Amino acid sequence: MLKKLALAAAISIATPIAALAEEIKVGILHSLSGTMAISETTLKDTMLMLIDEQNKKGGVMGKKLVPVVVDPASDWPLFAEKARELLTVHNVDVIFGNWTSVSRKSVLPVIEELNGLLFYPVQYEGEESSKNVFYTGAAPNQQAIPATDYYLEELGVEKFALLGTDYVYPRTTNKILEQYLVDKGIKEDDIFVNYTPFGHSDWSKIVADVVALGADGKKVGVISTINGDANIGFYKELAAAGVSADDIPVVAFSVGEEELSGLDTTNLVGHLAAWNYFQSADTEVNGTFIESWKARMGDERVTNDPMEAHYIGFNMWVNAVEKAGTTDVDAVRTAMYGQEFPNLTGGTAVMLPNHHLAKPVLIGEIQEDGQFDIISQTAEVPGDAWTDFLPESAVLKSDWKDLGCGMYNTETSTCVQLKSNY
Amino acid sequence: MSRLASILSALILLAYFVAPANASPEKFAEVLERDFKLIQRSSVKTVTPVLEAIQASGFENAQEFLSNWQEKSLWFRKEDNRFFYVTTEDKKTYTLIDVVTGEKIGEAGKRDIKQIKPNSGVRKLLGSALVQFRLVSPDLAVRRASLESISRDAKPEHLPALRNAVETETDLELKTGFIQLERLLTMQFGETPEERIEAINSFAGDLNLEVRANLNPLLASKLEVASQLPEDANIARIIIPGETGIGSDASAISPSVLSWFSEVRPELDLDEAYLMLVKSGAAPAIVTKQERDNTIVKNIKDGMVGRYEIASLNTEERRDAAYSDLVLTGVAEPSPSRSDIEAAVSEHVFFARFDEPDSNVTDAVRNTLGQINASVRWNTFLDLALDAISLASIYFLAAIGLAITFGVMRVINMAHGEFIMMGAYSGYVVQQFITNYTLSIIVAIPVAFAVTFAAGVALERLVIRHLYDRPLETLLATFGVSIALQQLAKNIFGTQARPLTAPDWLDGALVINDVVSISWIRIAIFGLSILFFVGLWWTLNKTRLGLETRAVVQNPRMAASMGINPDRINMLTFGLGSGIAGIAGVAIGLYAKVTSELGSDYIVQSFMTVVIGGVGNIWGTLAGAGLIGIFQKLIESFNPSNTLAAQTYMIIIIIIFIQFRPRGIIALKGRAAEA
Repeated sequence: MLKKLALAAAISIATPIAALAEEIKVGILHSLSGTMAISETTLKDTMLMLIDEQNKKGGVMGKKLVPVVVDPASDWPLFAEKARELLTVHNVDVIFGNWTSVSRKSVLPVIEELNGLLFYPVQYEGEESSKNVFYTGAAPNQQAIPATDYYLEELGVEKFALLGTDYVYPRTTNKILEQYLVDKGIKEDDIFVNYTPFGHSDWSKIVADVVALGADGKKVGVISTINGDANIGFYKELAAAGVSADDIPVVAFSVGEEELSGLDTTNLVGHLAAWNYFQSADTEVNGTFIESWKARMGDERVTNDPMEAHYIGFNMWVNAVEKAGTTDVDAVRTAMYGQEFPNLTGGTAVMLPNHHLAKPVLIGEIQEDGQFDIISQTAEVPGDAWTDFLPESAVLKSDWKDLGCGMYNTETSTCVQLKSNY
Repeated sequence: MSRLASILSALILLAYFVAPANASPEKFAEVLERDFKLIQRSSVKTVTPVLEAIQASGFENAQEFLSNWQEKSLWFRKEDNRFFYVTTEDKKTYTLIDVVTGEKIGEAGKRDIKQIKPNSGVRKLLGSALVQFRLVSPDLAVRRASLESISRDAKPEHLPALRNAVETETDLELKTGFIQLERLLTMQFGETPEERIEAINSFAGDLNLEVRANLNPLLASKLEVASQLPEDANIARIIIPGETGIGSDASAISPSVLSWFSEVRPELDLDEAYLMLVKSGAAPAIVTKQERDNTIVKNIKDGMVGRYEIASLNTEERRDAAYSDLVLTGVAEPSPSRSDIEAAVSEHVFFARFDEPDSNVTDAVRNTLGQINASVRWNTFLDLALDAISLASIYFLAAIGLAITFGVMRVINMAHGEFIMMGAYSGYVVQQFITNYTLSIIVAIPVAFAVTFAAGVALERLVIRHLYDRPLETLLATFGVSIALQQLAKNIFGTQARPLTAPDWLDGALVINDVVSISWIRIAIFGLSILFFVGLWWTLNKTRLGLETRAVVQNPRMAASMGINPDRINMLTFGLGSGIAGIAGVAIGLYAKVTSELGSDYIVQSFMTVVIGGVGNIWGTLAGAGLIGIFQKLIESFNPSNTLAAQTYMIIIIIIFIQFRPRGIIALKGRAAEA
């Protein structure tokens, strides 16, 4: 009886919604205040731009896209609450959001419980695969490993300083890199690891330590997973110590065009960054993208890698919805596999069954104008959810298409678990 | 004689490049065409033969080609893969210049051509290949660049050219550089051992990092194993597996000597040592689990392996037992037991042999390095002390405003950090209008003071005045103000960090030697701290305002009855404390970053400094900053891999300290302390 009532109620509510269903809601879950606002506000603006442009082209399946913007305020637990709000109160069909790994980890249980769909646009540490998340940023094998190879092969670096901010992304990445370097024959004594708090500013001792590493005649290279504004003090101290990029190169995984726009770059010329995208990529699509971004946001604004990730992710989602003919999460998810979309840097990104993209890896040298000179570009590298360089992860595989499992043990041929509550 | 020979060979080298007998542009063009791909997407792994081919073509413009390539001014046309140099005025159309003939051959649009961008590894090789030309270039800057090229990638063939350059160089500074570099190269590539030893000895006590970087590789050694120590070999150290580690001069160190300070990690453990024996063929290999299982699988007969059923082989012990059965029946190779391994290892001698065959040279290196390392240790300590003083002065600067508002007036002002931030942003705004950095900083200091003084006065008038004697409410109210100010800064300046650029003369560092150096900005901050300390001490103790302040703090009513207006004094004192925070903000912004969170980074440290030092006394603030700065650096030096842990330890130490001296280092005595 109760069930029937509920059903009747549902039907009576459903009718007015059907009339309104001419629009598709897109949730945007980026911090607009707090410490991460520095990076995430840009992504919110990117999403609004992409949605506007899509609407001008006639929307998706003839329906208009409506953005729903919420502000999780760089507060990790609040991310979970806001995600719940987006899915239950606003009933969005898809969410684009998050920057830090800790915020993503906070959102995961909610999104898996409510079967939502999240596009995560930032380079991250891997070791995760959720059925409900598409990772459009780089996995370690698409950023950290190629950059390390570049150090080993092209620059002949023999001694490594791994400097990072103290949280999950740098720690996991450095763990992978340490193992990778040891496998490559670098002695453990030749790997110097240091973690600093968020917003660290007293770099003199650490820079002196790094310089002193070169005393035994080996070439030293720095791999930096320093996050956020701590980079500014680090590069300033590096410049003050007179460290040139030719002597001790620094490759950064979290410093892009946006971060450099807050810096005086004259002393940083020649230092490196590894990304899947640089604004300086010389292609026609990129030219158009930059033009429309600048026209919307102002001439001094720059584009960066997570923006491209959203650009690819959003367009793939649009195509997947058109292909599936519905915004139903499971149907769209199935339609996502094998989706192809041109990268802004040339070539084509492909969505793999492990929810990662195949993208090219670019290494750029910082120039005086705060842009990057692309000195190395690989072919498309398929993203790997579980790294091959840690023994406990090497046996794991993610394949949501055929195996239907994000954490599949290839040795025992069993699915370890479906939810990502690890 | 040898000098004559070297000059001669340099001349021959030069002659070879400058006026070759078979100079042929055709050959050069041919190389470019053949190796187009290798030049366009150059890699350290493949570029060397191309460089050799280009140099071997002997074409005079080859040098110009290489140097343009190195400086990223080489381009190619996409349609026919030809190389060009380009000139452009509007960055849309480019005039193409042929690399072989040097003639203009037309124009091209931006999309038709592409710049070639060698990575810095390739640029290093190019620089090294160009050294011969550049050492004798008439351009001083080019000669200086060649000096750097050699020091980055020294090759034996550079030595004669360099010796020649030492003779002809006219610029004194550069000549000194050449002489130093010549010594370094002689040390490695000199022809006779005497010549090399002389060069090595000349560096005794030299702290230059480059010297150490060139000395250490001379001590490179390789591990070897033999049944007897070879007589004629230049032995670096004899290794006892599982015991000795490597010392800094490639000698063996036994654990007993240094184990108090740092753990000595054995260079070889027993298994690794045995593995070396196996590799040299002197001992049988250990059967791995994989091999053992494979052998077992191979010997399965009717569901049985010897006496064992397959199903029972589910533990390591049983598999081992089954395998040893197979050994007994002769179908498997025996695996050496633990005691076999130990015996085999103890029968052999493990040692490291120097790559350098001459023991006189390695002895000289050891001797020189020993002297250098001793002096490096002292200087590292000195450097640490300088860092500690510098950090202390930064903490002092951030805390001194608080020493007045909290220390003297007892107002817990959580928005103090935001005054620092406002000062830093004032500096940024001033730089937007005054482009001369020196002038802008000079202007920024009073502007920052004025802005934060006004803000402080406003805060005191609007909020704090109503909350005197209610510390908890003051804390909450000012905390709210601090959040509001942070958000306001975000709304005005955005969330991105803003640059506050130091004038050129504050760039770089005061380099005492390669170990001890300190950046000029930190020295300036140190100077500023001293200035503030003296100024504030004088204001509080020698001026009318200071006297009145102290009077009001001790007893407002009594002070009022003496004709002092406590309201006005409170307002001015609070303004002064805030204004000083503003100036500190300019200084801190110069060396760190200007963001809306700048202040919150310093607020905890500042309160800690004031509390540790002793409330109500600027001497206390000085002592507190000194203590925290020195402690922090000391702990960091013990634990270089985790700065955050160092800070945590420091806070624990401070908590313990406060338990024993709750009033801080310099505690007020008498009636004032009770207030």
